[in-house]
Amino acid sequence: MSLGKKKADIWTLVTLTGFAIVIVFLIFPLFDVFKYSFLDKETGAPSLSNWKEFFSRTYYLKAFAHSMIIALFTTFFGALLGIPLGFFTTRYKIRGTNLLTTLSVLALLSPTFIGAYSWITIMGNNGFLRNIFTSIGIRLPPIYGPVGIILADSLQYYPFISLMLAGSLMTIDRSLEEASENLGARSIKTFFSVTLPLVLPSLTGGALIVFMMSLSNFGTPAIIGGNYRVLATVAYEQFTSEISERPGMASTVSIVLMMCAAVVIVLQTWASSRRKYASMLVNRPVVKKLKGAKSFFAHFICYFIVGLSMLPLAVIVFYSFRNTSGPVFKPGFGLDSYRQIFYDVAKTVINSFVYSFIAVILIAVVGTLIGFVIARKRNMAVKILDPLLMIPYIVPGTVLGIGFIVAFNRKPIYLAGTATIIILTYFIRRLPYSVRSAASILKQIDPALEEAGINLGSSPGRTFRTITLPLMKSGIISGAIMSWVTSMNELSASILLYVGKTMTMPIKIYLSVADGYFGTASAMSTILLVVTGVSMFIVNKYFNRGSDTFIAS
Amino acid sequence: MTSIKISGVEKRFGELLALSDINLDIQKGEFFTLLGPSGCGKTTLLRTIAGFYRQDKGDIYLGDELINDVPAYKRNTGMVFQNYAVFPHMTVFENVAYGLKVRKLPAKEIEVKVKTALKNVHLSGYEERTPDKLSGGQQQRVGLARAMAIEPRVLLFDEPLSNLDAKLRVEMRDEIRSVQKALGITAVYVTHDQEEALVISDRIAVVNFGKIQQVGVPWDIYKDPVNLFVATFVGKINALDVTLGENLPGGMRKAVAGSVIFAVPAAGTEACTEAVLAFRPEDIVETTSDAAGANRLAGPLVATSFLGTVASMEIDLQGRHIVIERHRPKKADIPAIGEVVEFAVPPDACLLFEKESGRRLGGGKKR
Repeated sequence: MSLGKKKADIWTLVTLTGFAIVIVFLIFPLFDVFKYSFLDKETGAPSLSNWKEFFSRTYYLKAFAHSMIIALFTTFFGALLGIPLGFFTTRYKIRGTNLLTTLSVLALLSPTFIGAYSWITIMGNNGFLRNIFTSIGIRLPPIYGPVGIILADSLQYYPFISLMLAGSLMTIDRSLEEASENLGARSIKTFFSVTLPLVLPSLTGGALIVFMMSLSNFGTPAIIGGNYRVLATVAYEQFTSEISERPGMASTVSIVLMMCAAVVIVLQTWASSRRKYASMLVNRPVVKKLKGAKSFFAHFICYFIVGLSMLPLAVIVFYSFRNTSGPVFKPGFGLDSYRQIFYDVAKTVINSFVYSFIAVILIAVVGTLIGFVIARKRNMAVKILDPLLMIPYIVPGTVLGIGFIVAFNRKPIYLAGTATIIILTYFIRRLPYSVRSAASILKQIDPALEEAGINLGSSPGRTFRTITLPLMKSGIISGAIMSWVTSMNELSASILLYVGKTMTMPIKIYLSVADGYFGTASAMSTILLVVTGVSMFIVNKYFNRGSDTFIAS
Repeated sequence: MTSIKISGVEKRFGELLALSDINLDIQKGEFFTLLGPSGCGKTTLLRTIAGFYRQDKGDIYLGDELINDVPAYKRNTGMVFQNYAVFPHMTVFENVAYGLKVRKLPAKEIEVKVKTALKNVHLSGYEERTPDKLSGGQQQRVGLARAMAIEPRVLLFDEPLSNLDAKLRVEMRDEIRSVQKALGITAVYVTHDQEEALVISDRIAVVNFGKIQQVGVPWDIYKDPVNLFVATFVGKINALDVTLGENLPGGMRKAVAGSVIFAVPAAGTEACTEAVLAFRPEDIVETTSDAAGANRLAGPLVATSFLGTVASMEIDLQGRHIVIERHRPKKADIPAIGEVVEFAVPPDACLLFEKESGRRLGGGKKR
């Protein structure tokens, strides 16, 4: 028998809004994608014809195999770059560790397609590095195809591994390793029997994120892949070429891509839950000072890795200042490309800023409110909502784009060609991160603080406003800035949803590269890089957040 | 100043029965303590009074007002939290003023009340400090000032001293007690520290397994426990399983523990044979073998420990360990390990409990 009467309060409303968002903007579009994959694209009758086609044509099976190959190799090379960097910067005294970390985060957050596009200018058919090598008689392998994709992807995503490894290495209490040595293990034995097992969960976690990101990445393979097609690019191509009202094959490919992503996420959750060592950090681990050749070697490795990942970004900035005449670069330097942007495509730049800004406000407000409900109100409805909100983690941008366009191109919700649909994509793609981060900030705020507010006579709403919100503020803002960066750089979903007047910078860059207008593409990429860099600087400087912010949110 | 009446309160968390048929009458101005081990339900009861939990059954009254359906923020109870819960983004002044601002008091009045509250907890001059510049003890003073500033109907303390170091704990508990008495506010105090409870309370309710075990003044709780749980939880006690035998002259009865035989008061033990005999270390008297009297025993000394005002000695009594305390110890008087110590357990120090239920046999307020 319960005497309590449940009154509909603001949090009930928030929970309902959460469900509405999930149903309208996730389940509905994804269900459409699912539905179309089981409808014959000619007749519209329920059938397995699309699936039969997928599993019988080498075109699709190859794309699947390619996706796996790219993801595997990217993970492998990402680990190859990330592990030494993460290990050296935490265990040895490396000058400029902060700079290295900041630069690697910049590489991570920069738009994915910039790296690909830059490698074309470096190593493409007329790339400067290729020309240098050719002049001394060395023929480099072609950059278009798997080599280029893996190169660009691993140089972008390796910081996931280095940052997660560094984060976990720094929280191993020194006394654990000391205990091992005290019990008679030499340092190599200690490394393999104590240190490595302790960091393994983070290492696997980081590797799986790299796998996942590379699997669902659209920009890199679209720009540098050439004829080497992966699932994301095939889904896009099928969608744009299927004239029928029923995008059967694009939907089928999307489902396959989503399933792969889901498997990876399940593995990742399993890996990180299986062995999570809550460590009581009392004594920080020792940072060893290396001498002579060893120190030089460690510095060289670290700076080489980060330098290599900076190379494509530096090249882009360099090219943006070269004089151009249409698609052709001319000798000399100037602001031609920037001038051109502001005369021809100022609207594109404004669109990017405006859409991202609106999306970020939405993400921050809705994410914080839902995050609060998830962290503080554990009722049945919330327990159902929580996992549903994580769906966007496994939905690659391409798939969400396809879902949105098929679902919102007819009554009752007609959004095709509007700015709203692009803003909504940004919103949905970032929402789970924002919810997660708000919830985790809240978990660090002692509930007793809110109870104290209530106890002193403040209503729940007022308590949230005067106690909880101010304590969450810096976390919310730094999370919002991260959402801002990803929204500014979003390509894979918006490329499917834009029309001329709603074009954004990433889309324009993609199209310019396709058309060979490298000058404007470089200038716009530089603008995006500056936005990314400045945002990171603000987060670092004013919110005092470590690099973990960038990988966690 | 308000009384609290709790009648038939029950609270479940899923399958767990956290509170079961709780009935308490807390008087106006009383310092009332809920004492029990962790997980016993004492904090649940306190939070139910504060309104953070809603009981499944029963009623809670503040004074004459039934508050079952009054939300927590309208109950006007001042709570002091275990981990202080001082708002980290506000100064000391803003913390204490928080509840007053909520009540929309004029700024002048708020200032006066904050000053007074801070003075009461000896924190005058700390108004503009931020909590991260305060020690644990100072933070808890802010918590106390904040709770008192709203002039609550009752003060609620949720283990407020358990995060402080030993010396500060003693200092703060005396301060809490004196402030509460000076203002005359009814206080409900939760603790697992029996010594703290004995010192600070007007009355204590010992709680275990979600049930009130005993309510009484500290003296009764210690000297006249109603069951074995209360006897062992509050203070140190020696407990031996005994079999009760035939009656002895003088209203006594034989109690046998292995080969050791005690004479214990027979009153109330009639229906019982399997019992637990308990006696407090300080009630044991040291004796010599030629002295007369009952329950004279001896055994080799196993271990000693020195606590300043008291030295305790652990004695092996045919396989069972008995603890004796010697007050104002002198080093020369403490025997060496292995040496035989003779002692006697006065019959009136013997507490008997039914083995099966732990219920006290006999008893009554005589000491």
